[in-house]
Amino acid sequence: MNSPNPNSLKSRFTKGLVKALIRINKNHPRSSSSPSISSSPREIRRRYHKIKTAAYASMACAVGTRRAWSRALLWKIQNQACNGGVVRRSIGSSSHYSMKKIVEQNKINELRKVVPGGEGMDTWSLLEETAHYMKCLTTQVKVMSTIVEIYSPTT
Amino acid sequence: MNRALPEMLNCMNAPGTIIAGNCTDMTVMERQRDRMKWQKCDHHDQQQQQIQYNFGGSELGGVFSLPIHAQGFHGFLGGNPAVKPDPSSENRWAELGFGSCGLVLNNNGTAGLEEMGNVLNNNISKTFSCSPAVAAEKRSSDTVLSQKLSLPAGKESFKKRKADEVQSNKAATAESDSTEKRMKSCAEEGDSKITEQISTKNNNKESSADTSRDNSKASEVQKPDYIHVRARRGQATDSHSLAERVRREKISERMKYLQDLVPGCNKITGKAGMLEEIINYVQSLQRQVEFLSMKLAAVNPRLDFNIDDLFAKEMFPTCGANFQTIGMSSEMTNSAYLQLNPMQRLASCGLDMGLNSTDLALRRTISAPGSIPEPFLDTSCFTQDQPTAIWDADLQNIFNVEFQQGRSSFQSQPFTGSIEGSNLKMEM
Repeated sequence: MNSPNPNSLKSRFTKGLVKALIRINKNHPRSSSSPSISSSPREIRRRYHKIKTAAYASMACAVGTRRAWSRALLWKIQNQACNGGVVRRSIGSSSHYSMKKIVEQNKINELRKVVPGGEGMDTWSLLEETAHYMKCLTTQVKVMSTIVEIYSPTT
Repeated sequence: MNRALPEMLNCMNAPGTIIAGNCTDMTVMERQRDRMKWQKCDHHDQQQQQIQYNFGGSELGGVFSLPIHAQGFHGFLGGNPAVKPDPSSENRWAELGFGSCGLVLNNNGTAGLEEMGNVLNNNISKTFSCSPAVAAEKRSSDTVLSQKLSLPAGKESFKKRKADEVQSNKAATAESDSTEKRMKSCAEEGDSKITEQISTKNNNKESSADTSRDNSKASEVQKPDYIHVRARRGQATDSHSLAERVRREKISERMKYLQDLVPGCNKITGKAGMLEEIINYVQSLQRQVEFLSMKLAAVNPRLDFNIDDLFAKEMFPTCGANFQTIGMSSEMTNSAYLQLNPMQRLASCGLDMGLNSTDLALRRTISAPGSIPEPFLDTSCFTQDQPTAIWDADLQNIFNVEFQQGRSSFQSQPFTGSIEGSNLKMEM
């Protein structure tokens, strides 16, 4: 990891996230004159929501539309922007064979809820999307924690 | 010529021997043919020789169904000298045991044979390109053989076999990608038989699958469109169960891959347990993202980012600790120390932030606060050079308060992950 690949997922995600963070901070200016508690919890929470959305959006943009989960995420974010967060849910069917199968199918349905866009997928595609989504999530966490570590004290 | 005919007829009578692939016999015949000085176009000669060479193995015997153009043979077999087909090719066809194919031959003569020769040459030379090896492969089953024929014959059985070839390609897809690729490429290049044999040798189950497929072939003449899946030994060959098994195999393969991705899942074997772990892991990752974005919101001031700097730092997340050992900046020290508590939590969740950075932070808090920013920070980009002094006094208070704020707001969050929850209590 010594030489950064400018086209890697990580780089694309980082660029997008940083731009979004700059924009958010411009829109929510903090009073930096005094380092006392300048922002109310409400303001923090609002900024938190925006940053969270920005993180997911920049990750989805970095992945592009190659993956079903990124498409679903982008669609959801766009809808949230337009409609105020209407989320459609379709419930997968459950099997009837045996207790074990029912438990397994329930778990798969839970996984569908966790992974964005997992509602309308069959099991195999869902597992594939889950794998890619996990990798992207770990990248996201790494980058964001690095950002936090680097830039948080510079207020 | 007179010599040739009886020889040829003998060959006809004993197609099996010829089919066994005696190339030498054929070359002898070929030489005799050439001696006869049949008047032929050059390119046809070449074609025919090509065909001969290709048919050295002559697995086509018994399987091959020629187009109607083959009717020209009859004239030749009848010993009609007026017919001027390519004798060598005709010879080959005869040697291949055409009689056993039950072809209807008439006296169509030259044109038909030439055409057939062309057709055959075009198709067969495409599919069969290695005759000696082919001869060696003769021992393989006829069914294996027949699948690879792609001649545009008009017989229904041939169509069925062609469909089977397509389906067998699909089946190979279902079974294993490597086999599929081999088979598909071979259908084009003509190494199909060899690789088919290799694959059948490698997979015992596939050999039994062949027989099972052949047994079920009779019932499937009418439907060439559905997917063939090779049945394993001792397993049902019902199409539904085969498809089901393919699906289950794919899913279990995916689960194994996911097991490698999720840390600490090596011991869990059941599908439900694995799924549970996967769900927990994904949820914990999502909660981490939420936590980090909360921290960014709470702590993140005006950020005049220089993206290059960000990359420089990002690319050395573990080396960042090394930079700090130089004892450069003060603003990093106190905040870093406080920041490291959640960092530790993240570290325990499998990130790169090492615990050694905690020790470094402790050391830094003790050291006198300097006002030297870190070397790789572009200070011109940062507008907060003055408050360094203020930091020393109030930084810890600030961050303590902010963290408490964060904690209180966190309690409203569904922050119930096992790892994070325990660490939170441990450190805060």
